[in-house]
Amino acid sequence: MKSATEIQGKSSTRIVTKWKFMYWRSAILYLLPSIILFSVFLFYPLGKTLYLSFFLTDQQGIANVFVGFENYQYILQAESFHKSIKATILFVLYTVPTGIVISLFLALLANEKVKGAGFFRTIYSSTMGVSVAASAVVWLFIFHPSMGILNQLITSIGGTSIDWLLHPDWALVSVAVTTIWMNIGFSFLILLGGLQNIDEHLYESAKISGASYFYQLRRITIPMLSPTLFFVTTVTLINAFQTFGQVDILTQGGPSESTNLIVYSIYREAFVNYQFGTASAQSIFLFLCILIVTILQFKFGERKVHYQ
Amino acid sequence: MKIFRPVITYMLLILTAVIVFFPVVYAFFISFMSGAELLQGNFIPKTFHLDNYQKAFERLPLAHYLWNSLFVSTVVMLGQLLVSALAAYAFVFIPFKGRNIIFFIFISTMMIPWEATMIPNFLTIQQLDWINNYQSLTIPFFAIAFGTFLLRQHFLTIPKELKEASDIAGLRSFRFFWKVVIPYCRTSFVTLGAYGFLTTWNMYLWPLLVTNNDDARTVQIGLKQLQTQEMATDWGVVMAGVIIVIIPTLILLFLGQKQLQKGLAQGALK
Amino acid sequence: MKKLLLLFLTVSLLVFITACSSDAEGEEPNEDTAGEEQQTEESSESDDNNEEEEATDEKVEAVFWHAMSGGGQESIEAIADNFNESQDKYTIIPEFQGSYEEALTKFRSVGGTEDAPAIIQTFEVGTKYMIDSGFIEPVQSFIDEEGYDISQLEENILNYYTVDEQLYSMPFNSSTPVMLYNKDAFEEAGLDPENPPQTFEEIKEAAEKLTVKDGDNTEKYGFSILNYGWFIEELIATQGGLFVNNDNGRTEEATEAVFNGEEGLRVFELIDDMNKAGTYGNFGSNWDDIRAAFQTEDTAMYLDSSAGVASTIENAPFEVGVSYIPYSEEAERNGVIIGGASLWMSNGIDQEKQQAAWEFMKFLQTPESQAKWHIDTGYFAINPAAYEEDIVQERWEEFPQLKVTVDQLQETKPSAATQGALISVFPEARQQVVTAMENVLQGTDPQEALDQAAEETNRVIEQANRANQ
Repeated sequence: MKSATEIQGKSSTRIVTKWKFMYWRSAILYLLPSIILFSVFLFYPLGKTLYLSFFLTDQQGIANVFVGFENYQYILQAESFHKSIKATILFVLYTVPTGIVISLFLALLANEKVKGAGFFRTIYSSTMGVSVAASAVVWLFIFHPSMGILNQLITSIGGTSIDWLLHPDWALVSVAVTTIWMNIGFSFLILLGGLQNIDEHLYESAKISGASYFYQLRRITIPMLSPTLFFVTTVTLINAFQTFGQVDILTQGGPSESTNLIVYSIYREAFVNYQFGTASAQSIFLFLCILIVTILQFKFGERKVHYQ
Repeated sequence: MKIFRPVITYMLLILTAVIVFFPVVYAFFISFMSGAELLQGNFIPKTFHLDNYQKAFERLPLAHYLWNSLFVSTVVMLGQLLVSALAAYAFVFIPFKGRNIIFFIFISTMMIPWEATMIPNFLTIQQLDWINNYQSLTIPFFAIAFGTFLLRQHFLTIPKELKEASDIAGLRSFRFFWKVVIPYCRTSFVTLGAYGFLTTWNMYLWPLLVTNNDDARTVQIGLKQLQTQEMATDWGVVMAGVIIVIIPTLILLFLGQKQLQKGLAQGALK
Repeated sequence: MKKLLLLFLTVSLLVFITACSSDAEGEEPNEDTAGEEQQTEESSESDDNNEEEEATDEKVEAVFWHAMSGGGQESIEAIADNFNESQDKYTIIPEFQGSYEEALTKFRSVGGTEDAPAIIQTFEVGTKYMIDSGFIEPVQSFIDEEGYDISQLEENILNYYTVDEQLYSMPFNSSTPVMLYNKDAFEEAGLDPENPPQTFEEIKEAAEKLTVKDGDNTEKYGFSILNYGWFIEELIATQGGLFVNNDNGRTEEATEAVFNGEEGLRVFELIDDMNKAGTYGNFGSNWDDIRAAFQTEDTAMYLDSSAGVASTIENAPFEVGVSYIPYSEEAERNGVIIGGASLWMSNGIDQEKQQAAWEFMKFLQTPESQAKWHIDTGYFAINPAAYEEDIVQERWEEFPQLKVTVDQLQETKPSAATQGALISVFPEARQQVVTAMENVLQGTDPQEALDQAAEETNRVIEQANRANQ
């Protein structure tokens, strides 16, 4: 009897192992395309970046003087990098919450059952179809100190014209406004999809019990929308950390480095100053920052997320 | 209240729509203006002549650029859908060991700033002899963590009973994927497709680096070529370029809107 | 197995793209791909070229990377066409590569190989980098070999690109800064429009009178400078000041920035004083913005590149005056440094291609090409004989102000200061100066801002020297 159970136990572990192996094999097959592409175009270059961050590079970009952590030490104490960090954090704070609130507002509006809602949905999602290069050029003109429509409007109603892209405080706000506008389309579309996935019955029972619009919003819509909100937040957060095109076209990092977001600073270090070492150190630093923020977000944010 | 609500809704809808769409309209108007008219700060052009558009097309092979963009974006979209769906499927439906760790590694790739990997990537492309090729513009972008993440989130909402039922019915996992998962998550596929297409369409720095001549160049670079540094920029022509560049994507969005909405509605019906 | 099928699908998709993209290489037209259907005129043209080539089988093709967009690109293409038609041995293919920085980034990775373009256009601040790169053939070797007479070319332009008595690259698009002013505004303010301010003090006084305020709103500023390091370099040089030590890095490798000396301080103090007095308008770092500000009469005087003068005169709804850039009364006027870009020849490529590049460079320097270039773009003619060409003379009659830009260049006293600095980390140094300038506009003390920029520049010079030993 005893040995029989033993045998059974053994064979069941064998079956489990076999199953495990089967799972592994099929999983790997499914994941293979992603893994290959990630390895070649992300992990390998990331490794190379890490390697370069411990070197000084010569004019051909070849690492030839090992300097240990000197590049890191330098960026951590350099004032311009502090400014970059500050600008990036401010930029994230300006764009992410505002962008999501606006998109949510628009999604709620467009989700109302009124005639012609489809038309407005198209309008709201349209900014998704305007490329970074195109929208930055248009906004560049909107912010134009003398010909731009914004200052013309302000002066025509008797205000003082604002140095949108020329004053360090305003410049970051202007880049943020452009970014929010560009992101609206995408966030809107995802949030609208989320809204439409919410079960109608939930609202019906709430209506029967006479709940107000805002009560419904707080108790039904937001909790049911939380996975979508979480998703949108994660994506906009990461995008905000990696903003490049708008800065390049609108301000080139100025004035007084007030819009020199980390990615732009990396670009400048690498492609204008040819300091691949410090550029790589900055990249690694940025990578770690985003990593930590995302881990925190998953740890604390996903808890609140309500999966159906 | 009952009467007011639609009125308020419409007012808000119209107001926000005007604000959101304003930059596009503004660019549209400017694209018809001459340099002198621009300086006067007009908002609506006096005449709608097409000189600026003509100039934009004369200066650059914009039609060819548009075709390149269209081709590249479509291929990337398809590639992303396939690769991401495969990965997401594995993460949701195959309980293999180390699943969470690998998923986390996948997600972490989303955080690698693209600019940081650009130099090594450029060298790789060069070694592969992909410069001036469509490969260099498409293949590196097939795998995106974002897509895997998006689809995984949606796959997770598929009731486990469905999977169990299909296991019992003896559906092979690929059939399950094809017959159940894809129809169930059509919304996410449409969304990811649109996202993939548009982000590729909008790529700017990378196409500039990996293309040396007009053969594979995309339309965003054309936009760049219309602007100048030290000499005066012809804003009217640049805005005409902007309109030319955004019209195809806007049309696509307008057309896709119905499809997108259908997909969204289907998701809502369950 | 279905999974294998799936894998196969993925692979075949990859293969499909690979197949499709071969037509993107533009060498062998591939009939069976979708891409062919939508073939545009452009690519069919290039196919024609290919066929022609097979017929004559002799033309050497040389690629020319440039960074000129807009009107400059049109002009380059036209000149290259002229060259290709003028003889039947060589074909020059101009290809736009993005900004100077982006073009240089690509060149760094192909330099020294067969893939390198025969000619690459590089901005003036990349000169030192190119010399040290080892990827280029000094044009001097062709000049010597052939005994080409370069004395016909503008000396003050050649000076910049001559290092250790070798001309390394062929000057191409060259420009200098000038001051533009609104003559109508001068009259309104009671100033003499034919006698613009020449020194820093005069600028300050004139700006005071030219500034128009309406309550808190400044309707018109007196004076503006683009936030671009080049203008600061020029204002220092015209006082005879150096940018870096060792004669601007011309006698020996530069080791230290000296732009924070008295000449630099004078420039920054001028900006600071005027900014505090409310007579200095800050219009950012975008060329078009400051021009628009001038044309919409938001600023009455500003510094611009000679390449932008003609279009500004054309667009402005008022009378525009052009004069030399101002200098400090405590110094003499020395003149200006040349700006813009030059053409470099690759080494490591076929000798035939080098020859093609050289022939094209010579073709570019003919008065006819130069005249066309000067008129199309506003950049200088490297060959002064071009100024005698009819089209130039006509142009000058129409815009007499253009001649001022040429006079200023020709009156420049050759010296280390006006020859311009030679440092490999110039782009970064320039960026530091811009940041310092912006900081001053935000209220930082001029000396402090300059010292900070100099210190930062010294650090990168030192690092570059360490890495390139």
